[in-house]
Amino acid sequence: MMRSKTWKLLMLGLILVPFVFGTASAKTLKIGSMSPLTGPYASDGTDIKNGVLTAIEVFEAAGGMPGYDKIELFPQDTACDPKQAVASANKLINLEVVGVIGAYCSSSTIPSSVTLNEEEIPMLTPASTNEAVTDRGLPYMFRLCGRDDDQAPAAAKFLKEYLKAKTIFIVDDKTTYSQGLADGVAKSAKEMGMEVVEHDHVNQGDKDFAAVLTKAKAANADVFYMSLQGYSPGALMTLQAKRLGLESQIVTQDAMFQPKFMDVAKEASEGIYLTYGFTDTSTPEYKSFEDLYVPKYGPIAAYATYAYDAATVLLKAIKAAGSTDPDKIKAEIMKMDFDGVAKRIKFNEKGDSGSSYIAYKIENGKFVPFWSPVKGLLQK
Amino acid sequence: MIQEFKQVWKPYAVALLWLLGLLWPLLGIHKDGTLSFNETFTVWIYIAAGSAFCLFLYLLNQSGTLKAVSSPLAGVRQTAGKATAKVPVWIWLGLLLVFALCYPIFTGRYAQDVATNVLIYICLGLGLNIVIGLAGMLDLGYIAFYGVGAYTYALLNLNYGIGFWTSLPAAATLACIAGCIIGYPTLRMRGDYLAIVTLGFGEIVRILLNNWMELTNGPNGLLGVKAPRILIPAMENGLSFEFFYLKKLHFLYYIALALAIVTIISVRHLNFSRIGRAWESIREDETAAELMGVNTFMLKLLAYAMGALFAGLAGAFFCARMRFVSPESFTFLESAMVLSMVVLGGMGSIPGVILGAAALIVLPEVFREFETYRMLVFGMSMVIMMVFRPAGLIPAKRMGKRGEEGDG
Amino acid sequence: MEYFIQQLINGITLGGLYALIALGYTMVYGVIQLINFAHGEFFAAGGYVGVIVLSYLAGNGHLETHPFLCLAASFALTMVYCAFLAMGVEKVAYKPLRLQSRLAVLLSALGMSIFLQNALMLTQGVYDKAYPSELFQGGLEFGDVTVSYLQIMMVGMTVVLLVGLNLLVFKTKIGMAMRATAQDKIMSSLVSISANRIISLTFAIGAGLAAAAGIMVGLYYGSVRYDMGFLPGIKAFAAAVLGGIGNITGAMLGGLIIGMIEIFGAGYISGQYKDVFAFIILISVLYFKPTGIMGENIDDTRV
Repeated sequence: MMRSKTWKLLMLGLILVPFVFGTASAKTLKIGSMSPLTGPYASDGTDIKNGVLTAIEVFEAAGGMPGYDKIELFPQDTACDPKQAVASANKLINLEVVGVIGAYCSSSTIPSSVTLNEEEIPMLTPASTNEAVTDRGLPYMFRLCGRDDDQAPAAAKFLKEYLKAKTIFIVDDKTTYSQGLADGVAKSAKEMGMEVVEHDHVNQGDKDFAAVLTKAKAANADVFYMSLQGYSPGALMTLQAKRLGLESQIVTQDAMFQPKFMDVAKEASEGIYLTYGFTDTSTPEYKSFEDLYVPKYGPIAAYATYAYDAATVLLKAIKAAGSTDPDKIKAEIMKMDFDGVAKRIKFNEKGDSGSSYIAYKIENGKFVPFWSPVKGLLQK
Repeated sequence: MIQEFKQVWKPYAVALLWLLGLLWPLLGIHKDGTLSFNETFTVWIYIAAGSAFCLFLYLLNQSGTLKAVSSPLAGVRQTAGKATAKVPVWIWLGLLLVFALCYPIFTGRYAQDVATNVLIYICLGLGLNIVIGLAGMLDLGYIAFYGVGAYTYALLNLNYGIGFWTSLPAAATLACIAGCIIGYPTLRMRGDYLAIVTLGFGEIVRILLNNWMELTNGPNGLLGVKAPRILIPAMENGLSFEFFYLKKLHFLYYIALALAIVTIISVRHLNFSRIGRAWESIREDETAAELMGVNTFMLKLLAYAMGALFAGLAGAFFCARMRFVSPESFTFLESAMVLSMVVLGGMGSIPGVILGAAALIVLPEVFREFETYRMLVFGMSMVIMMVFRPAGLIPAKRMGKRGEEGDG
Repeated sequence: MEYFIQQLINGITLGGLYALIALGYTMVYGVIQLINFAHGEFFAAGGYVGVIVLSYLAGNGHLETHPFLCLAASFALTMVYCAFLAMGVEKVAYKPLRLQSRLAVLLSALGMSIFLQNALMLTQGVYDKAYPSELFQGGLEFGDVTVSYLQIMMVGMTVVLLVGLNLLVFKTKIGMAMRATAQDKIMSSLVSISANRIISLTFAIGAGLAAAAGIMVGLYYGSVRYDMGFLPGIKAFAAAVLGGIGNITGAMLGGLIIGMIEIFGAGYISGQYKDVFAFIILISVLYFKPTGIMGENIDDTRV
């Protein structure tokens, strides 16, 4: 009995340790980022983190934040899991960050945004495209990427006007983003007179798609629309589809806009179309970002640019507002109107910054802008 | 010490070389067709140095050189023990209670968060302790009941607006029923089969939660669950009552503390009651218990149901605290965590389980800089604990041998 | 009809893989009554070492010139590596606990599994590692049914390994020693069969088979990830129990059944619940026939 008491007192001491460690240092401006750093979507998540780090680097090189010695990023790992996202949000609240860039998966952003908005911490997502992110009227929620209720009609229009498809076989993995987009495409397709032969589901994290692909092959639709959460399952599905001899044209969405997709799927990825927000790679902003980012972090994937823009918006707003008060930051964000790396940055009352989705084609292992809803077939 | 060293150095050297052989292909063979030894050597040197140091300490201990340090320590412990033994147990418990009650006053947000987590896992650990420690059944899918409790509260709250306090008994009842459903077909099976079947059930529940979109919204989880609320009198227009939502962290801490205290007291009473003795008899020797008139089937089912009940309570609170619930919180890894809390802390002993829960929640927080190595260390420490101290940190006091131990 | 045949082929391929992994579980359980949770990690490690060796050979240019030789070499090296890994794990985590309670060994196995999975993650990164896929493209077509060369290779390899194992266990002296130890450890040591050696050998063979399955999974799906061992691991254990734990033929049968049920369930009922079918079948079979389909074969000396 005695021994257990010493142990108990020891443990109580151990419990007291965390808060003894306390908070630190001089004046640091704390920013949080939430993205998947482990799991199947880790490369997109790491791109987001690297984009924010680059933005901080550029900002500090340009003079930093007045009143602060340095800007520090606290990257959190959401693993595209809503529960971990909420836990990360709580951690960031405990760390008392001024703003959060994140998350990647819509299913992570939506729940954690509720937590962050309650604490009045501005949240800017670079990659969550589901409509519900900004439709709920949360005051401190902003979005840098496009919206799925723009992406879905654009995709459907591409299917109708360019591919002249009549039948579509849709697959999604039931997450907020994938299913939302798949449902949107199904609805727009039906409105445009195309037939959705089947809308099937797989599980997040599955590796074996033989069963659903065999079904798709038997259905032999004109188009196989693949709506999955990341490049990893997408590449696997593409590989297996080609191996099985699926003849339908594979069309997919912006989560696949990632060079690693071609690494895994290799030749099977040739000729695949996908929709993604248009980024002009010839602007001076893009070029200077490229010069900074590529030597340190490798090729630019889908959302590093948006993350960079998001972080830049946040830092600029804090500087312009001269304080970390969330309402002042929000006021500054709403005033913004400039050319970012990914696109022109201007927010509407909901917090959206506009979408401009075009269809890309994978040719010779590269993403090539192919077709725009406005201009039709693009010249290369 | 040289004697012991001579005995030990051969297997140690072999082990180190073996480790090198296993490590090199993972770190040293590269995609571009080159081979290298640098990275492997650096990692290996670290591991070798660390283990050599531990071996050195172990040998010192064995050969008695450390007695110079440990005997005075033991002496101090003895005298301190004698002094404190005079003080009755309830004073210690009272001090502990006072500390727990005052805890939020002098700690920050972060520490309260950690403490609330510890309290939830204490409830879970004690519930699992009933199943494993008291009744001797191996349950690897325990976390399913946690999930049932959490989703019950979430669904009741979102669909019918039922508050936390009313949902608590509902969650406990549903978890109990789930325990009976899962228990019924599995109780006839033998030990290891019981393990895999309960694991299967745990996975089935998780997959159901993940895929039943109409009911549970699938992997996206249920959002917008309300926090616990209480009626407080409002002074406008005469006396009326209005709801006050207990969203603040210290309120949640107190609710968790209350739940934990209720669980501890209940488990203690169960332990020392007729039912507890019947469970122990089943654990020690089921056939003999059956012969003595113990209704083994009903009691095993009761053990399952009781364990599930506490998990359901913990689950409902978990949901109220996060205000969001998703299937990914209820994976097998969580089950394994709770299991290790129970076993590492000491199966069957209440202070042991409490210590296990505290250690497994607090230590990863303390070593947060090494977050990437966290699970690695966790796995290794489980192995080490089992090899060197399988009875746990605070072993339960037993009369006689357990049926499971000994002849294996 | 073609749909059915196509799913049948998919089912046989998957079933063969599960059978290979299940054999490791069943053999280990037969000798020391341990559910080796770390077995799934041997499978994952096999997948990783396979891709490491193949990428190395591809980087050296040997893969284009001698594809089959490289493939054979990678299989051999990986199986040997995993055999050594398994023997090491056994000596460290299971041998000291031979006399302890079942729960202690189980937790040690669980801890080892977590440790190995994280070791793979730390040394190999969190991303998928892609297999060089210049091998085995294309397949045979029979009307609407496609059988890829890869599937043929996999099924062939599985058959070779299973037949080999059967020959080893039932026709050689070492196999007899293994069966004897599984039946009664104490008595076999009385006739001078070293239990320790046999146990190490059992682990080695089981891990070798799992490693082969790991490489095949990598080739088939195109990539490996550090956490790929968990789910196939439990399903394979369910397969082993289904067929009768400790029973080698039972494990092979169990693996095939679970693979087929999974594929047919996904194809005809629903793709979402495919992981659940395996467990439901397991629970039902155990309820009605607790010793599995083909009956158990374990060391029953303990009461």
